[in-house]
Amino acid sequence: MSERSVRIESKVGLHARPAALFVQTAAKAPGDVTVAKRGGRPVNAKSILAVLAMDARHGEEVTITADGKDAEQLLDSLEELLSTPEPEGA
Amino acid sequence: MTRVLSPVAGRVVGLAGVPDPVFAQAMVGPGTAVDPRRAPGRAIAPVSGRIVKLHPHAYVVVDAEGHGVLVHLGIDTVKLKGAGFELLAAEGDEVAAGDPVVGWNPAEIESGGRSPICAVVALDAGDGALTDVLESGEVGAGDELFTWD
Repeated sequence: MSERSVRIESKVGLHARPAALFVQTAAKAPGDVTVAKRGGRPVNAKSILAVLAMDARHGEEVTITADGKDAEQLLDSLEELLSTPEPEGA
Repeated sequence: MTRVLSPVAGRVVGLAGVPDPVFAQAMVGPGTAVDPRRAPGRAIAPVSGRIVKLHPHAYVVVDAEGHGVLVHLGIDTVKLKGAGFELLAAEGDEVAAGDPVVGWNPAEIESGGRSPICAVVALDAGDGALTDVLESGEVGAGDELFTWD
């Protein structure tokens, strides 16, 4: 299993738009993908319900994990999504 | 089966009528949207269940079947940081469909330069899980928008 910690740079946190992009990307992976807030229970990163309910805010650190042979590549994509602030006015 | 009710009164425009591609392209999930009447109102719970997440501008209610419904009041309203919204319930509350959750005034949102269109989204719903989805017409708060098998 691959794992990494990422700080959320989206000003609105992991809310509707960033959450949807995050879940869509995670859902493409064949294996299990989880996301957890520091000290929190890992939730299914392919579930928009679970990710919205987790409610990770701007500046918070989350830990994402992935299984399988392309796990590192997937984590690269997810990290990029989380660590990129949305453009102004978006 | 879950009957999902309109949280607001207004004109149904479908998700395609939401001026935000993330909702319009159903990336958050399938569902529909309502352009609310421009008058002070109270957005209600679309299903009976527990409020698992409550923001001033958006909330998620999960019913006994585990179906989670997102109500998103207006577009980009997260940036208002709660101004113009009044919480009428608390996160973790058990609510009945029709119970008031957030008080707001769509006319105020619009005069602030944002769309008050209200998206109602079935979270994690599979393809074909929704039936009888309203895409047009007038609805009152509490009228059925779609069913979720």
